[in-house]
Amino acid sequence: MNMPAKPVYLEEKLRQVQASGRLAFRSKTLPSWCPGCGYFSVVDGVTAALGELGIANEDAVVVSGIGCSSRFPFFVNSYGFHTLHGRALPVATGVKTANEALTVIAVGGDGDGFAIGGGHLPHAARRNVDITYLLLDNGIYGLTKGQTSPTSVTGFHTSTSPYDNTDRPVNPLLMMLAYGASWVAQGYAGRPDQLQRLIVEAVAHRGFAYLHILSPCVTFDKTARTYRNLDLAVHDLPADHDPSDPMAAMRQAMQSDPPALGLYYREQRPTLGDALDSLVEKAGGRLAGQAAGSAKLRAAR
Amino acid sequence: MNGTDIQVSICGSAGDGTIAAGEILRNVMAEIGYRVICFDVYPSEIRGFGKCIARLRISTQQAYSLKSRADVMVSLNDSHAIAHVGEVRDYGAVIYERSSIVDIPEGGHISAHLAPGHLPYPVPFREVSEKATGANRSRNIVALGFLAGLYGLPMESFRRAIAAKFGRKADAAEANVKAMQAGYEAGAACFKLDDVSFGPPAATLVPGGTVAMINGNAAVVRGCLEAGIANYFGYPITPATSIMEKLAAEMPKHGARLLQTEDEIAAISATIGAGFAGARAATATSGPGLALMSEMIGLGVIAEVPSVVFVSQRGGPSTGMPTKTEQSDLNIAVYGGHGDAPRIVIAPTNVEGCYRCAGKAFEMAEAYQTPVIVLLDLYLSNRYETVVFPTRPPFAPDMNRRPEKNALGPGYKRYALGGDSVSPRALPGEPDGMHVATGLEHNELGRPSDAGDMHSAMSRKRHEKLEAALRHPDFTTVKRFGDEGPVEVGLLAWGSTFGECLEAMFLAQAEGIRCAAMKVVMLWPFPTEAVTAYMADCGQVLVPELNYQGQFASLVQSQVARPVTRLARATGAPMQVAEILDEIRRLAGRTPGVRRAA
Repeated sequence: MNMPAKPVYLEEKLRQVQASGRLAFRSKTLPSWCPGCGYFSVVDGVTAALGELGIANEDAVVVSGIGCSSRFPFFVNSYGFHTLHGRALPVATGVKTANEALTVIAVGGDGDGFAIGGGHLPHAARRNVDITYLLLDNGIYGLTKGQTSPTSVTGFHTSTSPYDNTDRPVNPLLMMLAYGASWVAQGYAGRPDQLQRLIVEAVAHRGFAYLHILSPCVTFDKTARTYRNLDLAVHDLPADHDPSDPMAAMRQAMQSDPPALGLYYREQRPTLGDALDSLVEKAGGRLAGQAAGSAKLRAAR
Repeated sequence: MNGTDIQVSICGSAGDGTIAAGEILRNVMAEIGYRVICFDVYPSEIRGFGKCIARLRISTQQAYSLKSRADVMVSLNDSHAIAHVGEVRDYGAVIYERSSIVDIPEGGHISAHLAPGHLPYPVPFREVSEKATGANRSRNIVALGFLAGLYGLPMESFRRAIAAKFGRKADAAEANVKAMQAGYEAGAACFKLDDVSFGPPAATLVPGGTVAMINGNAAVVRGCLEAGIANYFGYPITPATSIMEKLAAEMPKHGARLLQTEDEIAAISATIGAGFAGARAATATSGPGLALMSEMIGLGVIAEVPSVVFVSQRGGPSTGMPTKTEQSDLNIAVYGGHGDAPRIVIAPTNVEGCYRCAGKAFEMAEAYQTPVIVLLDLYLSNRYETVVFPTRPPFAPDMNRRPEKNALGPGYKRYALGGDSVSPRALPGEPDGMHVATGLEHNELGRPSDAGDMHSAMSRKRHEKLEAALRHPDFTTVKRFGDEGPVEVGLLAWGSTFGECLEAMFLAQAEGIRCAAMKVVMLWPFPTEAVTAYMADCGQVLVPELNYQGQFASLVQSQVARPVTRLARATGAPMQVAEILDEIRRLAGRTPGVRRAA
């Protein structure tokens, strides 16, 4: 971790935070996560991104499933829908389909997304629903106190795999690339500045943006995915990586464990909303009206 | 019934064109001005050799169900028709293939199974078709033509109906018109033996309305569109699929959006997501899909989000009998899912009711911020009726209760307690209305809370607010028919079976039995007061329904402490009017008479 060169005093830090505007997007509810949890930096990133893109609080909807990470909506000062285990994506699809003017961010964990909700991922990705999906991956079920998840490493010991986790973990980035997500990146909770940039880009992307976020569970995983281990393992994508090349993105996703941080893939193609609008035009109907959204967001797109 | 009241059954094998012949006949009869009720029986295989029957009741007065007996039967495949020839009444007609090109075992020909009172019309369908068109594929149309010629129905209307049906395939249309003409001439030249005759159609149409001949699912679609449906999410399943198919064609014309989802869980999830965003949204499914949706419906209940779920029931459990009708999803509709999860459940009893319930369901969902389940069944979804629709939609475009400006801000209580328990709802996009809807038990602000008194208060809120639906002047909960005041036997029924109940009630009244029938449209919250009052008038209460357990009877008995007689049947077919009538006679203490044509 980089230490600041000179000490920063609390008053000055407070001024900085207030000036950033991100406090406007923090709710009054204190996060229910354990001290040291990587998820705090994700909330920071989301609130900063909403501020930076000039999205009004009432125009943002955070949709989540069930799990530690899915408590997320309570900590953001926007509309929120804390739904069922595994169902954040279809609910978010419904919200966006009903009102294209809303900025919809779906948040969930590795169990929520890749175990119980796994059936929804291909379809949200291939339809290119214009939402952002933040997948907070700590490789464990934290809310139920530490059981094996689909991203737990083979050989991992938990209360449900006391001898060994015999399953091999899924490769989320490779899956999402294969499913047809139009924006795929990986960040790390231990690198908050990079993470924040990625979140801003993800929200600004027009289409289905998948951001995989590696994050330690400081309470129930003392051996595998710790800050120390992740700090040693993570690395950036090569400087010459071309995010418009899907084969290069897949090769990178297959290469190392954990794979590199950064933007793997990005393409511009019509969203689900565009497709549904084209059906209205084909049928000779009248479109309900153009999506609003902030000027900054439109400019970023 | 005065005037014309004729039932025609066309029976064949999958691929014979049985259902197609029925469709042409019903369209022509409705166009001429008769009232028509039709229900087709078909197998769950697309081809194969499953049994298909198209039944049409053609009348000048309003009828409420099919009759137990047919006046005319057309056999396109004797091996299937033999089992049903007994449903033809005495002096009724049986029209069948005269010769067979295959060797058939002894007794394999329908002529060996006609009762002495049946009047036979052996017709060389194949030969006529081959002579007229060069192929035998139009046998079904030849049979239809023979029937039309025999009874003097207008050939010109059939020509138009065939042209409309085969519009895009000019060759097929031309061949079928030729087959129709040839069959018609054969029928017109035939010496008529039976006493079936079509009188003049009903001359008067109801003013201020439009008449359409549609089935239950199409009526649901009409109700959805007129109520301003904005979003639909669905997954194909028999017998609900045609709701989605029709909406897929119609919604884009109205600027509305439909999406075929990856499964039923996604369908209800997206429906509730759209409801949260303020849209009028719906999904449609059958029992297996409803089972998958149960958890998400519970979220709709606790998060107080409007949604509409159409459920067309079929034989269950599991895959059961996908193309047979049943009323066995009442329990899961009313009680399904975990926790104390009250929702509104309504059930139309005829095709017009499908239209009204569909539109009203959106109003109720918004007014009470709750999932609304509309229970249909295969019999209702697929049966055709001539319906008079109002020229102006009787549905309110917006029933949302929105918060006052001064209620908004950081202290906005999305789930405020008190009043009539319906708390004003801010929709995403509304400034200062930010809140989180959650499946966790919550306080008035919507923040998670598992305090005991909060859970009781919120549970009470969710139950109490629905009670108001029972008193809402615009929503039909129950309706009584038949004799006023005390009666010997009172029928109590729901859904598609109510039509048979009414027919049985009329017959019982004609026999001098004091009889009434009540339809229960709102199944939950249960209209206990109205049903209790009705039952107090009844010497005996009879509850006919299409499931094995008597699910509705059990529901009634859980709400009203009074024994009822169950007439529960799980055969996959609609209830027989004669069976209900026999039970009414038994309960009224009349000697069971000879079963008459009903």
